[in-house]
Amino acid sequence: MAKAKASYKVPVLTGEIKVPKVVPGASAYEKMYQGEKDDMAALGFPASLEEGWEIKAVGIFKQLLTHNKALRDYMDICVRCGACTDKCQFFLGTGDSNNMPVGRAELMRRVYRYYFTPAGSLFKGLADAEPFSMEMLKKWFTYYYQCSECRRCSYYCPYGIDTAVITMAAREIMNGIGLGQKYSTVIIHKVFNTGNNIGIPSAALRNTLDELEEEIKDATGKDIKIPMDAEGAEVLLIVPSADFFAMPHMESLIGYAKVFYKAGISFTVSSYASEAANFGMFIGSYRNTQEVNKRIWDEAKRLKVKRVIAGECGHAWRAMYSYSNTMNGPFDFLDSKYRQPTHICDFTLGLVKDGAIKMDPSANDDKIITYHDSCNVARGSRMGMMPEGQFIIPRELIKACANNFHELRNGTNKAETYCCGGGGGILTDEVMNVRIAGSMPKMQAIREAMDNKGVNFLALICAICKTQFTKMYPLYGLDAEMVGGIHQLVSSAIIL
Amino acid sequence: MLDLNFVSGIYVFLTYLAGAIFIIGVVLRIIIYAKTPMPVKIPLTPAPLTPMGAAGRVASEVLLFRSLYRANKPTWVAGYIFHISFLLLILLHFARHFVYHHPLPSWYQLFVSIGIVCGIFMFLSLFYLLFRRMIVDRVRIISILSDYLILIILMMIAVTGLSLNFFISAPALTKIDNKLDPFVTGIAVFHPINIPGNPYFIVHYSLILLLVAYIPFSKVMHFVGVFFSPTRYMTDNPQEERYYKPDAEDLSL
Ligand code: SF4
Ligand code: SF4
Ligand code: SF4
Repeated sequence: MAKAKASYKVPVLTGEIKVPKVVPGASAYEKMYQGEKDDMAALGFPASLEEGWEIKAVGIFKQLLTHNKALRDYMDICVRCGACTDKCQFFLGTGDSNNMPVGRAELMRRVYRYYFTPAGSLFKGLADAEPFSMEMLKKWFTYYYQCSECRRCSYYCPYGIDTAVITMAAREIMNGIGLGQKYSTVIIHKVFNTGNNIGIPSAALRNTLDELEEEIKDATGKDIKIPMDAEGAEVLLIVPSADFFAMPHMESLIGYAKVFYKAGISFTVSSYASEAANFGMFIGSYRNTQEVNKRIWDEAKRLKVKRVIAGECGHAWRAMYSYSNTMNGPFDFLDSKYRQPTHICDFTLGLVKDGAIKMDPSANDDKIITYHDSCNVARGSRMGMMPEGQFIIPRELIKACANNFHELRNGTNKAETYCCGGGGGILTDEVMNVRIAGSMPKMQAIREAMDNKGVNFLALICAICKTQFTKMYPLYGLDAEMVGGIHQLVSSAIIL
Repeated sequence: MLDLNFVSGIYVFLTYLAGAIFIIGVVLRIIIYAKTPMPVKIPLTPAPLTPMGAAGRVASEVLLFRSLYRANKPTWVAGYIFHISFLLLILLHFARHFVYHHPLPSWYQLFVSIGIVCGIFMFLSLFYLLFRRMIVDRVRIISILSDYLILIILMMIAVTGLSLNFFISAPALTKIDNKLDPFVTGIAVFHPINIPGNPYFIVHYSLILLLVAYIPFSKVMHFVGVFFSPTRYMTDNPQEERYYKPDAEDLSL
């Protein structure tokens, strides 16, 4: 149940990002709903928290330490230099010291030092070690779900300590003792049942696509199709399910369809793999991530496509780009000419450069555009052949289909981008104040671009970012229409 | 047969003990880090596409503290000065072994002065780091006792080292200097002899043994861990080359 709007704490937009005073526990009141029995069981976790959970938790922790180099390393080597302390949007927004990346990580390190280091078991005070108590578990459940796994902290840490790794491990440990997060577990369960996060069965999906085709026909006069489960298509297009049903996501789906139509390349979406998002990654579970990801490649095989293309979604792209080959590769049944998977922006820009499709940038002249680098794309993946392709390609594509583009100011974009505040499995209403707080730094940067450059459109390539910003804009007193996907711009500019 | 006085006996024992703890601790840690698998690729992008590039990236962290530079300039300055002066001091102490021969080379005084300057820089940078830890609220709240302990041990090492040059007479220092080489050689060839008995020296030496033995249990192990950080050493080529660690499956990402 969402809280009444009046209780939301919305920061004032001045364009400035100030480092707040430290207030331990400032955002302790915002908690996730706990995972329910059915969902937990479906994901292979115990249904609920049981007696003796401490011992079990320490056991899982130990296993993770021996099977995850990053976690092993990051438990030991933090020197508490403080370089990361003012880098997390959730700390900047809440002022809670447990939301400083190192503060968050120390919640786990205290337990780590107690059970796994000689210093911690002999000199508890000196090493600041603590047994895994109920109180500590509550802190874990609170603060490891106030992290969007955006990896901004890792960019600044002298050892590259990635708090997202620690958050994922904490969630895996909590899931392993039966304490899950409702939002993510429900969604993963839905994917197992229906193929997508929203739980839409294939007939309903086809209906929606039919309606969308009609809409496109009305608007353009062209017979632009969005095929589903079409065997033998050249391309399997995997989009976040929000693209089928939510606004402004659907505008991008229309954009993709127009690109395929105009380029004359056959494509299909799938009702079995009707989801690009992979919440298995958010909860840090290898098995669940693999399971969700596997649907894509099974479907690619079944539909005998030549290549797989991913739609606009941040973490989904990271999961597909970074993990697919490890978890479900190799993809020798696909055409080796192409990068498997390819990002839709990479694909579309390639067609523009080849002259296969043409754009009329003046179609977007009403817009003064800025671009938000989704953190999972920026710091967790790449597009194209060159390093930094994930920054270059979306920008080139925007510039190909629009005349007015401005960067957000330095320090808030590219590798230093702030997260939208809704990533990492926290895009749920029970933590709305955390989402608002986490969006603050990015909103300030956007506000500044609005004031100084007249920006009136925020281009995105992430389904979560789109949902988050369309929710945030009105709360901050801005018009939600000013948010949309890059392929929404493509959709307006493409000459059919 | 060994002919050691009581104090020397203790210190010889402690020297070998600290050395053993250090070597075993560090080697064990390297083995643990090296053989723990990483389930998936997690380079922090944009990342180099080739192993050479990734090695360069790690080198830029180790040699230049690149990420710290991006994050916080004052801390970078203090941290960098500390590490450089500390490293130089370690090297100078080893070099001294080959330099200190009779007759002393003409530039020996310069050699010693460099050491003194390093010692002063080391102390001042540590003082700044300690000061920052206590003053900046974000850093104070995450600091634990062992963070202060290590700073204090290091500062005491710097102070006692400097005291050997400032608080004792020149002849007394020469006496230590003359006895130190044979002592070190004796330790190295496992035929120990008496330690220089000057109390200033003994305190300085004790603190160093304490530091050396404490390192494997402390955050100082970051000097090993920095080479094993997947976000930094991994190449960004998951599509080009399949990365697969069967023993890391089925757990956390
Ligand atoms: S920047 Fe890295 S080493 Fe420094 S406090 Fe943060 S996590 Fe620890
Ligand atoms: S990963 Fe992002 S959200 Fe999580 S602690 Fe680091 S900066 Fe904050
Ligand atoms: S929602 Fe967007 S900005 Fe936020 S975590 Fe995902 S990719 Fe990052």
